[in-house]
Amino acid sequence: MLQLEDPAVRASLAGYLLAIADDELMIGHRHSEWTGFAPDIESDVALSSIAQEEIGHAKLFYEQAAGLAGGSADAFAYGRSPGEFRNAVFTERPNGDWGFSIVRLFLYDRADAHRLASLAAGNAKPLADLSTALRREEKYHLAYGEQWLRHLAGASPEAQERVQAALDGAWPEAVGLFEPVENEQALVQSGIMNVDSRTQADRWRADVTPVIEQLGLRVSEVRVTPGGRSGQHSEDLAVLLEEMTSVWRSDPEATW
Amino acid sequence: MPALWQLLGKDESEAAHLFAVFRQDTKNDPHVHVGDVHAADSEMALVLAKEQFARRDPCVSLWVVPYTAIAATAYADSDMFEPAIDKSYRFGGSYREQQRIMKGRRR
Repeated sequence: MLQLEDPAVRASLAGYLLAIADDELMIGHRHSEWTGFAPDIESDVALSSIAQEEIGHAKLFYEQAAGLAGGSADAFAYGRSPGEFRNAVFTERPNGDWGFSIVRLFLYDRADAHRLASLAAGNAKPLADLSTALRREEKYHLAYGEQWLRHLAGASPEAQERVQAALDGAWPEAVGLFEPVENEQALVQSGIMNVDSRTQADRWRADVTPVIEQLGLRVSEVRVTPGGRSGQHSEDLAVLLEEMTSVWRSDPEATW
Repeated sequence: MPALWQLLGKDESEAAHLFAVFRQDTKNDPHVHVGDVHAADSEMALVLAKEQFARRDPCVSLWVVPYTAIAATAYADSDMFEPAIDKSYRFGGSYREQQRIMKGRRR
């Protein structure tokens, strides 16, 4: 469990862990919606597995947050209103077509890799260890996303067009994954985060852009104002939560 | 020898997208055929094989091989493996080294 004396750092870290966990939960939930519907059975099994892993990561980060600020993983996941969620809007968007889901998976997992790398190199030992462990699973997510992206982009002119359309939609909101949480500088100054989110975003861009361009795709110049980290979400989140939490709400006290 | 895909009654384009998956449990084990995956190419086949065949069992390495690359004997020819006369002297079961290897495999 994390031991932190400074209340400002504690509060800021609890917010950051919640933001990460919320991202993981939302992307995991969206991936899970493909179970039974993916283009082939092998990809269906693999993506369902990835969904399980992302939701598993969410649980681990919720537990760390609960250690700092109280609460429980289930209460964080199922017991909050949309405005209390801190995930990037990018992760709550509906899947649309397979192309969008693959583009999102590719962009998200590459971003997650930089986030985990920063925590893994940070000085909060339990969190650094956790991040190091999670990066092992993420290695597979990166390979899956890139393989599929390469195939879709290279399949046919129509496929290329659809991937480009997906990327145009995804890119401006993907940048929101690096929207800093409140008082992020406390986490950087205390050494919990090895690099701040702005630097992570720069590294992520330098990481994904060559792959995208190599596939004959372009990144969008469109900019949107993020807001997910302060609880400003799209209507899509409310719809998602309505469905995702329906069983839990039927009896919040039940043990599973 | 015929290609395996011919023996299985598949057409060549289907066989090109069908990959046999071989899993190795530890570095001291052989790669063993554990099943197949459909994939556009060998890299995708590896990515998909990892989740189909390595999520529950121990694994240190995977191989994937397109069915178009496998030549095979037909079951119709399996009599060629049957000795016409007693050749048990070839079995080598009484050699100490042979017993050591076989014992290691029986787990």
